[in-house]
Amino acid sequence: MLETAAVRTGEPATGKGKQPVSLSVRSITKEYELPTGPLVVLENVSFEVAGGEFLAVVGPSGCGKSTLLRIMAGLVAPTSGEVLYNGTPLAGVNLDCAMVFQSFALLPWLTVIENVEIGLEARGLSAEERGRRANFYIDKVGLDGYEEAYPRELSGGMKQRVGFARALAVEPKVLLMDEPFSALDALTTINLREELIDLFRDPEILISIAVLVTHTIEEAVELADRVIVLSSHPGQIVTDRRIELPRPRDRRDPAFNGIVSEIFALIT
Amino acid sequence: MTREIAAAASFSFLRMLVAYGFALVFAVAYGVAAGRSKRAERIMIPLLDVLQSVPVLAFFPAAVYFFIALTRGGRFGVEMAAVFLIFTGQAWNMAFGVYEAVTTLPTDSTEAARAFGLSSWRRFRRLELPAAVPKLVYNSILSWAAGWYFLVACEIISIGKSSYSLPGLGSFIQRSMESADLRGMLAGIGTLVAIVVLLDVLVWRPLTVWAEKYRFEFTAGAAGESRVYDAYRSTGLAHALGAFWDRLWSGADRPIERLERVPRDSARGRLLHAFRILARTLFLLAAAAGALALLLLLAAFLRPPIPAEVAKIPAALFFSFCRLLVAYAISLCWTIPLSLWVGENDRVARIATPIAEVAASIPATAFFPLIVFFVVRALGSVNLAAVLLVLTGMQWYILFNALAGARQVPGEMKEMTRSFGLPFHRRARLAILPAMAPSLVTGSVTGWGGGWNALILSEYVTYGHRVYEAPGIGQLLVRATVSGNTRLLVWSIVSMVLVIGLLNRFVWRRLYAAASVRFRIDA
Repeated sequence: MLETAAVRTGEPATGKGKQPVSLSVRSITKEYELPTGPLVVLENVSFEVAGGEFLAVVGPSGCGKSTLLRIMAGLVAPTSGEVLYNGTPLAGVNLDCAMVFQSFALLPWLTVIENVEIGLEARGLSAEERGRRANFYIDKVGLDGYEEAYPRELSGGMKQRVGFARALAVEPKVLLMDEPFSALDALTTINLREELIDLFRDPEILISIAVLVTHTIEEAVELADRVIVLSSHPGQIVTDRRIELPRPRDRRDPAFNGIVSEIFALIT
Repeated sequence: MTREIAAAASFSFLRMLVAYGFALVFAVAYGVAAGRSKRAERIMIPLLDVLQSVPVLAFFPAAVYFFIALTRGGRFGVEMAAVFLIFTGQAWNMAFGVYEAVTTLPTDSTEAARAFGLSSWRRFRRLELPAAVPKLVYNSILSWAAGWYFLVACEIISIGKSSYSLPGLGSFIQRSMESADLRGMLAGIGTLVAIVVLLDVLVWRPLTVWAEKYRFEFTAGAAGESRVYDAYRSTGLAHALGAFWDRLWSGADRPIERLERVPRDSARGRLLHAFRILARTLFLLAAAAGALALLLLLAAFLRPPIPAEVAKIPAALFFSFCRLLVAYAISLCWTIPLSLWVGENDRVARIATPIAEVAASIPATAFFPLIVFFVVRALGSVNLAAVLLVLTGMQWYILFNALAGARQVPGEMKEMTRSFGLPFHRRARLAILPAMAPSLVTGSVTGWGGGWNALILSEYVTYGHRVYEAPGIGQLLVRATVSGNTRLLVWSIVSMVLVIGLLNRFVWRRLYAAASVRFRIDA
């Protein structure tokens, strides 16, 4: 018991505190070859994300926002352009990033703790250290006691909490989220959004940059310091604006709704 | 010789077409009936399961006896036996496909059909048949492959002193083999391969692309493209065929719906109702009588005196089982890595899938004597040759199920393991292989089914007046057939079916239940 308490209040494993990083997207274009001809998903998209920033990317479906996120993670190679991480061009998967998926992407044959440990495997940690870290982050997302449960025994919201714990456990500098709440019901979503902001501000969490892809404008305005709006076919930046509203943000605030309608008008 | 081959090819093709026609009608009727009624399902589906796992080829001699007796020794009897054999190789998987399509219809659609008051016939025409199209096309490809496989084996047969031969490519190839006529053999095999490839390009690939529009799930994907299909469309041929198809069915609409609309309490309605009950009763009685007759017949053959060779059956079964086990291991060793590779790489998938489909459709039975001849000559082992032959009947089922399994692994699951920088073997071990497990078990079940069938042709092969034998249940079975030892034949068949049934019950069904619970992807 003492040990767990120590873990819970202690510093995260690396113990270095938040280190600012930078992410720079430079004239990214992505085309897919289809039988009917090339499909341009993203065209000449450029922006910078600074350390400490929470960025949201919104746009209609088919605007390439999920593809953009995968290019930023190094999972998908752009047709042209490049992504710089701390000034260095990405070649392959960026292990300082961790991703949260729309469909959770949990492995149903593994328990919660085994799912969370997956990301730690490639980092060469000892089994003991993996278990310690997984436990720490399972507690962080409020799933204490569910370590040995299987994903199918959990509700949708709890599954996505496992998804967050798995991403946080690798102690990433950049957290990438691909519509993380769109498969969940409205009430669960409201709670999880608030918890996400708390996690991002938590001094124990080392994330420097968060990028959220969503088609819900309210979600973007509630969470992000800055919103990028993409058009579709091809995906291009329509607007890149800061959200200066004070936190915690109130969805009934006229200023909040003003920004939402302003972005809404841009998309439709 | 060209003329002889052309005639042989036409005969074989016609035989296949007739069998396929029967199989198609059977599959649609059986599948829809089993899918619609819970009560019918409880009998029809286990029965189909049994029929599917029984090695068809083992029953061929019995079928020949039966049909020859039925036609009083005419050639037509042998013809019927051959068509029947091909039918039994084609029908079951198609029926399963239709049944699956009917039972997995989206609830929205079936409720809409009920809400709009669609008649039973309309429901079939507008909902069930279209929904079954993709599965029917897919299974037809498998069925034709199985059909060719059996065709080669069933156009020529010797039972006891009499030997029967039907004009066709299969018998042509077999005769060339027996007389070691290499030129004739290559010409025959070449023609067969050409027909298979042409059918794939001209019929099956365009049909697969066409069938995509009947899919309920909108997963992106495996449809592919077919230049031939595009050509059919641009020349108006596709349209003409579609119109013909519609006319064919709508011709039946009116009379059937008039019958359906006859009021129950009218004189004609009561007559129709009575007729329906009578037909159903007669059908059930006939089925029961058939089953009883089969049991009595079996009992008559199994009754003492028991032939001395029956004592050899356990050892023979054991040898054959080992041979299957080795072939199974070989199948897994190459199909799983290939599927993993195909699942990782779209370009490989686009190239490998059509090649594998055509390769699987070419009936390996045509090559059996050649394979045996060369393996025995090069390595001196009939046993090894037999394992290779069994492999040809087993590996494709496993490959195609493994490929389908690898395709079904959710994209985000694969991305997730990649995003954490896991090496390939760990990604395979953690995510892809478990997700493939249910498909692999299904592939194993059908693969073993194919293997048992192939066994019958693999342990007793004739090439150039010489018989190559490997000890096993297949050898025993064929020997019993050739020597006309009917009692031994029945004993061999019954014990083989028993072993297969036990394996299915205690190994495969349990594995499947375990895999589908533990490795199901539902969230």
